[in-house]
Amino acid sequence: MNNCSLVAVLISLLFINPAWGFEDDSGCLLCHKYPKMGRINEQGVKRTYQVIPGAFSSTVHRNVPCTDCHDYIKQLPHREVTKGVSCDTECHSIKNPSTGKNFSHKSIYDKYKASVHGREKIETGLNADKPYCVTCHTNPIYNPDEDKPPKRIVDRCVVCHEDRKFVTNWYKHTSRRIKEVKRSPKEIVEMCSSCHSDKMLVDQHVEAAKKEGRELGKKYAIAVESYNESFHGKVTRYGFTKAANCLDCHAKKDNYYMNVHDIRPSRDPQSPVHEDNKLQTCQTCHIYADENYVELDPHPSSKKENSPFRYYANLIYGWVGDVVIVLLIAMALIETWGRRRDGVSFCMRKGSSWWRKSKKSKGRVK
Amino acid sequence: MNLTDEARSVLETSMRINKTDESERQDIENIVASMPDDRVLLYKNVVSNPIGDIYRYSIHIRIQHMLTFVTFLTLAFTGLPIAFLDHSWAQPLNSMIGGINISRVIHRTLAAVMIFSMVYHVVYLFYVTVIQVIKGSFELRRSIIPTLKDVTDFKEDMQYFFGKREQRPQMDKFMYKQKIHYFAAAFGNLVMIISGSSFIFPEFWAAIIPASSASFFQELMRLSHPHEALLALLVIAFWHWYNVHLAPGRFPMQWTFLTGKITREHQIEEHFMEYLRNLVELPEEREYLRNLLDARELSLETEDDLRVAEEQI
Repeated sequence: MNNCSLVAVLISLLFINPAWGFEDDSGCLLCHKYPKMGRINEQGVKRTYQVIPGAFSSTVHRNVPCTDCHDYIKQLPHREVTKGVSCDTECHSIKNPSTGKNFSHKSIYDKYKASVHGREKIETGLNADKPYCVTCHTNPIYNPDEDKPPKRIVDRCVVCHEDRKFVTNWYKHTSRRIKEVKRSPKEIVEMCSSCHSDKMLVDQHVEAAKKEGRELGKKYAIAVESYNESFHGKVTRYGFTKAANCLDCHAKKDNYYMNVHDIRPSRDPQSPVHEDNKLQTCQTCHIYADENYVELDPHPSSKKENSPFRYYANLIYGWVGDVVIVLLIAMALIETWGRRRDGVSFCMRKGSSWWRKSKKSKGRVK
Repeated sequence: MNLTDEARSVLETSMRINKTDESERQDIENIVASMPDDRVLLYKNVVSNPIGDIYRYSIHIRIQHMLTFVTFLTLAFTGLPIAFLDHSWAQPLNSMIGGINISRVIHRTLAAVMIFSMVYHVVYLFYVTVIQVIKGSFELRRSIIPTLKDVTDFKEDMQYFFGKREQRPQMDKFMYKQKIHYFAAAFGNLVMIISGSSFIFPEFWAAIIPASSASFFQELMRLSHPHEALLALLVIAFWHWYNVHLAPGRFPMQWTFLTGKITREHQIEEHFMEYLRNLVELPEEREYLRNLLDARELSLETEDDLRVAEEQI
């Protein structure tokens, strides 16, 4: 056995886990365990359909049987997949413990669908640029908080709950949800920027809106760059957490986790940045804000077309600064040149700086 | 030395303020008369102590300078990385200071210290001015307030540097450069305080400014804070440090900000009016000058003596 194959075997051993952590009742892994399971689709993109059991059993969906989401699979081997998984599908195997009904993401999905970001799973045209659930919910397979439940906690729970595996799973489930799971403000800005700072994408939408006579937000085209120029943006990008990030102003306040899915354009009366709601939104942090305060621009930009005042003020400031520095340096140089000709030296020697000979006037008496 | 009208007036005023008696007055007149007309000879020949000979700044002014100088630089280093975040040096500098959570606390604390320093300065200045006015010793031209003479001083100094004039102008305690610098710093300080306060208390400024201009004001302040800071830093680095550290005769540094004293050659060269007052106020300075002029044979003699001397050569 050569070295390469030894490494290959060792790596594959990592994934061969006798306890897969999820039940493969329908036998999907019969085929989907193979790394070569895949195809090149009509667009020429290589798609892999391999399921790595060890990896899947670390995701939040580890307890959901494959066919609960892939509900279009009725027989094996299955037919061509055209629809794909949509996140509002109802699980038939998992019950919502609070209601006893089948578990589903439908309520949050509907919120999202009504928001400005809402789209179908399969979309074409400009709508395809909008984020689908998985754009933001990347469902990380590794979460350090649930890596190894502390023995202290598990030991306490098994006193009544007996099953160590059950307790461990519960710990993982709750720790992922109870711990601060939202992105840090810096990450939120990065997440929103990943689309909103894409100039090509933004331009396409601006162009389309113009053509269709649709209205877009006043700051839509410069949202990210102007935020980055603002004080909020600068300190947030440095990792400061108390300054407003995108969601602090653009999502309603009452239920953060619900409302971040319900981002609406500023012309929508439900939006927290709508004219009528602005003051209340500002007051979340700036408690003494009054009606004058909402006049301040939270997205300042030095672009001429956006804010001519700021553009020209910036320009004048720049010029004044340059001229002042040039004049002062010129004055310093002229002074040095003039005094050097008269015999001044840089360092004092024996109590005088004038020990050099002067080209211009009388020198020091020796 | 034949004094100009301006210098004569400075001398007379100083003698009047100091209530100089007749014998001392005679002594002062003698020493002034024996000074060579070519002032260049005077400042080229005096011997100076590098850390300063003549008292110039009180301990209060030195403390105020120290407070402003330390706070200004630290404020600049904690603030500029935020304003110029996209520049390559910004993030490393900010991490060096301890990150945004540390630097913002430093920035705000030192801002308060800088404001205190400004208030201290204004109160101190007001106090000493009132005392001087009461005593009748206040002289406008001896103060930092710009006068028309500063314009002529500037013109004449430039003429001297370009070789169109024999001597530098006879400037007062604060020369034109110092006045420009002082008022630039005072203005800058005020701009930084107002614009800084519009960052920390935007609600306050929005409340007292009409809604139609509140946004423009805030925009202007948002621009002013970094622009003014950068300008101040550049002026300090390229001009102030040049003047006090790098200029010929001042290298490696002028000790005035620590000792409060100025060197004799510097006083005569750039603040001759103040040197005249020193001659009135300090008998030991007159003694020193008399000995120096004798030792170096610089005393202004009668025309006959000069003729004899020329013949000997």
